[in-house]
Amino acid sequence: MTKTYISRHPLEGRIPLEPGIRAVDHLEVPRRQAIVTVMAADGEDTAVAAVLATMSEPSLRCVGPGEWLVVSQSETPEGLQRSLALVLAETAYVLDQSDGRIVLRLSGPNVRRILAKGVAIDLHPSVFGLGAASNLLCGHVNVNLARTGENEFELIVMRSLAESLFDDLRLMGREFDLSADFSG
Amino acid sequence: MASLIHCPHCGVRPSQEFSIRGDASVVRPAPEASDEAWHEYVHIRSNPHGRHREHWQHVAGCRRGLVVERDTFTHDVFSVTDGAAVAREGGR
Ligand SMILES: [Zn+2]
Repeated sequence: MTKTYISRHPLEGRIPLEPGIRAVDHLEVPRRQAIVTVMAADGEDTAVAAVLATMSEPSLRCVGPGEWLVVSQSETPEGLQRSLALVLAETAYVLDQSDGRIVLRLSGPNVRRILAKGVAIDLHPSVFGLGAASNLLCGHVNVNLARTGENEFELIVMRSLAESLFDDLRLMGREFDLSADFSG
Repeated sequence: MASLIHCPHCGVRPSQEFSIRGDASVVRPAPEASDEAWHEYVHIRSNPHGRHREHWQHVAGCRRGLVVERDTFTHDVFSVTDGAAVAREGGR
């Protein structure tokens, strides 16, 4: 017997908040995104970091020493995993996380003030600049936060906690009329 | 409790991001050590008033195990070191 599995986004049914309305501060939720964990083998931290730094499109999110999330908009999860496993060979463990993680992209002039309600790090660009990323708590939820623009941040969260984080972000953004919608 | 911990990998973070895993000064005895030695290691803990070394794990950050040296009375934190570095130093 064959079973058909349908991929369903956990925020389906909650989004869009108000169809067609996009405020200056906006929460964009990509429907599909390739997310892969790369963990350097023992003693290979610098070698793996050097290889990852040469890649152009997929963006790199620091998780901890010798561990990264690699995120790509254009590649499929399988494609990204395969190409990373190929270039990194024996130096790292590469694992597809695309089904287990959700990306939320927050942008607008007030994003720092919105995030400051849930995040305990300094988000000033001189401290947390473009390309910076870190695992941290947003409220009670573990996220990977990255600065992807001057006024743009991406949060990567476990699929099972996406609704919780989405509700928190809505509340944090309410004073700025934060809007939310899917993209891609 | 000290409310801000300077993680060597992530920077200054609130203590809520960490979980305390206990005394870092005890050393695991050899497998064939006496029952008394194992009993000491597993169950007996001092409750120091002052400087203390503890294992802390940065569960909501880099997920690394750290050794935090702090004062249990004044909440001063003296040092935070990656657990692997401490183990290497101790020859473990
Ligand atoms: Zn850390």
